Amino acid sequence: MSADVSDLSLVRRVQRGDKGAFDALVLKYQHKLVKLVMRYVRNPAEAEDIAQEAFIKAYRALPQFRGDSAFYTWLYRIAINSAKNAVVSRDRSPVDYDLDRNNPDESYDMQGRMKDSETPEGLVLTDEIRSTVNAAIEALPEDLRTAIVLRELEGLSYEEIAAAMDCPVGTVRSRIFRAREAIDRRLREVFEGGLGRAEELG
Amino acid sequence: MNEELDSQLSAMFDGELPPAECELLARRLSRDEQLKARWGRYAVIGASIRAERGVRLNADLARRVSAVVSKEPNIAVRFVERKAVRAAARWIRPVAGLGVAAGVATLSILWMRSQALNDTPVFAQAVAPDPSRVAPSTEPDSYVVPRPSPHSSLVPATQLANYVVAHSEFSSPVARRNLLSAFMTGETGTVGTSGVSEEGSEDVYDDAKNTAQ
Repeated sequence: MSADVSDLSLVRRVQRGDKGAFDALVLKYQHKLVKLVMRYVRNPAEAEDIAQEAFIKAYRALPQFRGDSAFYTWLYRIAINSAKNAVVSRDRSPVDYDLDRNNPDESYDMQGRMKDSETPEGLVLTDEIRSTVNAAIEALPEDLRTAIVLRELEGLSYEEIAAAMDCPVGTVRSRIFRAREAIDRRLREVFEGGLGRAEELG
Repeated sequence: MNEELDSQLSAMFDGELPPAECELLARRLSRDEQLKARWGRYAVIGASIRAERGVRLNADLARRVSAVVSKEPNIAVRFVERKAVRAAARWIRPVAGLGVAAGVATLSILWMRSQALNDTPVFAQAVAPDPSRVAPSTEPDSYVVPRPSPHSSLVPATQLANYVVAHSEFSSPVARRNLLSAFMTGETGTVGTSGVSEEGSEDVYDDAKNTAQ
């Protein structure tokens, strides 16, 4: 089994007109896509814009997606092309930032385009998330920690993790789920109590 | 929330849920905002463990994409149309192939028939001329003995034999012997297949004669 199966069931729903299923795909791959685009552009705001453009292009092209390749592979290609095109068009018009001096409104817009991750609050938020997740992982029992790290960091399948940890696949599934739940609980506590942004989660 | 459902969601996130369960959960996931938020947080946890940059919980990017997508026309119509076109193409291609094959076969048959029709009068004229125009023969009917045609052999046998002998060093002894014996038997000045054609023409003369009778 692979991620293709779950992605494909979501893709099929989108193809049948369920736009909500596309939200789930975006939520799952947004971080990966931004990270990918950041190889081409250094500005996080620009990377997010390109990732957004790639997702929208992917949505529009979904009727042509037949599932011959994995959804992420297909999305990956769209994002790479979008990033390359953005780099080419930016290189052709390098005077964008000069407009700021002459046009205060334009300058305001440029600042307005800064994303949360660039603002001090956004950076604190990112650090907060990271430290919370790390602390939650440290607090996990050894078997849960190993399972989640092998899955998320090493990208092993449940079967491979079961072989590595010498336990049934069902136990791996349960351990990964419990690890996620424990980390998620800590995350929600932090954001509900601290920054009060729990309603914006996800 | 139901623990079993959350466990399924975690397995689906990893692509480790059986396809049938995936179908059901995908349907629920697309409608249940709480479940979708949890799904989004699972992605955040993974990104944090991998130390990916720009990890945020407020998911501004996802919200922006969702806002644009909600204004987009529904792709289901286009998908159904494409599916119908693909299904039609699956039928049309073999049918069109058969049609082309049948057309080619028909054309070939027609061409062969027209060739046969064109050839027959010439052949008949050459072999069996109009009896009214032929002067009555004084000789009694007899079997026609074919005369060797001067055009039936392109190269005289002796010339060809000389050529083979002169270039014998380039041919194998067996092939050389076979060729020479063929020349020896073809005394009439023709070689190989020309003998067959003569026999063939002999048959034709006989047939024409029988037809005339």
